[in-house]
Amino acid sequence: MLPTRSTPSSSNAKLPEARSASLGKPSARRRRDVLYAYLFLAPGFALFALTILYPIVRAFQISLFHWAIVPGAASAFVGLKNYAHALHDPVFWRAVANTAFYMLITVPSQIVLGLLAAVLLDARMPARALFRTLYYLPVVTSWVVVALVFRYLFITEGGLVNWILHDNLHLIPHNINWLGARWTAMTALGILGVWKGVGWSMVIFLAALQGVPRVLHEAAAVDGARAWDRFRAVSLPAIRPVVAFVTVLLVIGGFNVFISVYLMTNGGPVDQTQVLLTYMYRQAFSFLDFGYGTAISFLLTLIVFAISLVQLRLFRRPAGER
Amino acid sequence: MRNGRLLKVLALAALAAGLVSTAAAQAKTTITFWSAYSSDGPEVKQLETVIIPAFEKAHPDITVKDVTIPYNDLHQKLITAVAGAQLPDLVRSDIIWVPELANLGVLAPLDTTMPDFKTLSDSVFSGPLATNAWKGHYYGLPLDTNTRIWVYDPATLSKLGMSGPPKTFAELKTMAAAAKRKGVFLYAEGGTGGWNILPWIWSGGGRLTNDTYTKASGYLDGPKSVAAVQMLVDLYKAGEMPNIIVNPNGGLGAYDGIFQGKYAATLDGPWMFAIFSSAHPDTKLAGSLVPAGPGGSVSVVGGEDIVLTQQSKHKQAALEFLRFMLSPFAQRQMAEAGQMPVLKSAEGWLPTIHAYYDTYLKQIATARPRTPTPKWPQIDQVLNTEIAKAFQGSETVQQALTHAAHQIDALLQ
Repeated sequence: MLPTRSTPSSSNAKLPEARSASLGKPSARRRRDVLYAYLFLAPGFALFALTILYPIVRAFQISLFHWAIVPGAASAFVGLKNYAHALHDPVFWRAVANTAFYMLITVPSQIVLGLLAAVLLDARMPARALFRTLYYLPVVTSWVVVALVFRYLFITEGGLVNWILHDNLHLIPHNINWLGARWTAMTALGILGVWKGVGWSMVIFLAALQGVPRVLHEAAAVDGARAWDRFRAVSLPAIRPVVAFVTVLLVIGGFNVFISVYLMTNGGPVDQTQVLLTYMYRQAFSFLDFGYGTAISFLLTLIVFAISLVQLRLFRRPAGER
Repeated sequence: MRNGRLLKVLALAALAAGLVSTAAAQAKTTITFWSAYSSDGPEVKQLETVIIPAFEKAHPDITVKDVTIPYNDLHQKLITAVAGAQLPDLVRSDIIWVPELANLGVLAPLDTTMPDFKTLSDSVFSGPLATNAWKGHYYGLPLDTNTRIWVYDPATLSKLGMSGPPKTFAELKTMAAAAKRKGVFLYAEGGTGGWNILPWIWSGGGRLTNDTYTKASGYLDGPKSVAAVQMLVDLYKAGEMPNIIVNPNGGLGAYDGIFQGKYAATLDGPWMFAIFSSAHPDTKLAGSLVPAGPGGSVSVVGGEDIVLTQQSKHKQAALEFLRFMLSPFAQRQMAEAGQMPVLKSAEGWLPTIHAYYDTYLKQIATARPRTPTPKWPQIDQVLNTEIAKAFQGSETVQQALTHAAHQIDALLQ
């Protein structure tokens, strides 16, 4: 932070030398600054340690035991047995596949639709504030309420979706058992996820688009660029960091899908729609197997961590590009 | 001057009154009682407006704080409370959770905690009492009992031109086919767990385990159990049962279907009558025994026990409320709300409260309990998952029940 401030024009490649130069001559003033900086960081770090680090360490500890939930009762140490169990458990792997499927259908749709809505709502149009609110409304609605509503929409007999597709439009020969089969149920869950999430990505994209200098658009227009070209060559590069941010958060959110699955299918029928968190929840809270449950959640953490690292690498601005 | 004196006296009196009332408030004990009494029917209202006020009037030093939790969340809530040492004083627990909670060591054994345990345990039916036993002690007392009977809407049956409910497996098959031709499902069932399927296995002459609850292989996958489940699978595959049996979340629920006349019947407990009479007063339900198969008409015992937690700081006050809940007064009040009493003395007056109790009393005489083991939630999940495969057609009934029996064997070890 400091070195870049002292040499604002330096690129990332020059950073190490700049840092070693400033570290080479420490002054009392600088040491005091550093001390103050840590003092200001301390409360935030303490909170982080208490609410994030401690639960992670504790969860890892629990995952190595056949955990007795009663406080004070002795738990048997089983080493990595809970992890081995997960890697040989077909339902765990199905939950991984379902979670990945959910993530893959919800994340790109939320980005594309969110960006589309943001571009449209960035333009001058009547009732713009109303539309912005309407698109955002699903985001602030309770997951429980919308999951129950969607369950009724997708019910086989008497559900709205089958009623439209079958009874009204005659597009399907018979009612689809949406929540009764793996991929139709996962699709229904994905549709809910997209519907609920588009407003969120829209708002972030909208804020980013409004930060793109108008002069750039005007200059491009003068050069003869049409709307699509201006979007591709001016807006998109300018909001690239925001796209990266939204993608990383959506992927994490996609892996954490729980409430909608718990309420719409509860992992059923026959564990066909289990996702990692519903399966973890069942092991811990229905079967009292907290060791196995935390092992699953720890594996989920590792997956999300690895994917986030890859994404941050992919999205990192190539050196020299501005 | 006089006024000043009067003021002083008044101030002192007010202070004294304040002190006395504070002391009284301090002497008052508050006990917490968790239950899953339903607010869809009259149960919660009966508890909060009749039973607790009557108890508090008789015991002015005790306040009862009742917390009602939806049934589907209560087990999770209890487990979380066990882990956090936050259990209430008393819990109205489903009978199938008592061995699990007792095994965790969080319940107080009532047979050694209550001096009058024998008097109370002698006054209740022995079947429900047995659900409180775990490793040589009694960890609760029964609070209400129930079983599942054939609950139907006579109006739907008469629209189908049928004079009465099916009495045997054979009648069930014929009537289900006839109902299908008129676009109605005769029988709706919302799952493939023990509560759903065991009445059919037992009525078909099959078994879940041996008598000592140590082995399922050779019982759950025996020919009679297979034949009973096969009958349901055949009905389902012929389009004569709705899909909620495989996928309870994805179809029209049994209550809604019966109300809408799309389903004629389901199996359920007495609360269904209470819920319908408050939610759909125009739908007059009727009940009959579970259709009889080669094993007779055998249903499954349900119900709740009242248990005292080890961590309760007010055990004596809590036990007072427990005794009150088993009194003829409280049992009768809850019977009016659709909860079957457990007192032996209730047999005489029970059918005079609601006519449907008569059928429940007949059914419960032959009903059987689910396997009393802390592993019941896992066993139930095995049944749910494996039997659903037979309905989906990914396995034959024999394969599904054999797989289930193997897994249950391991859980019973």
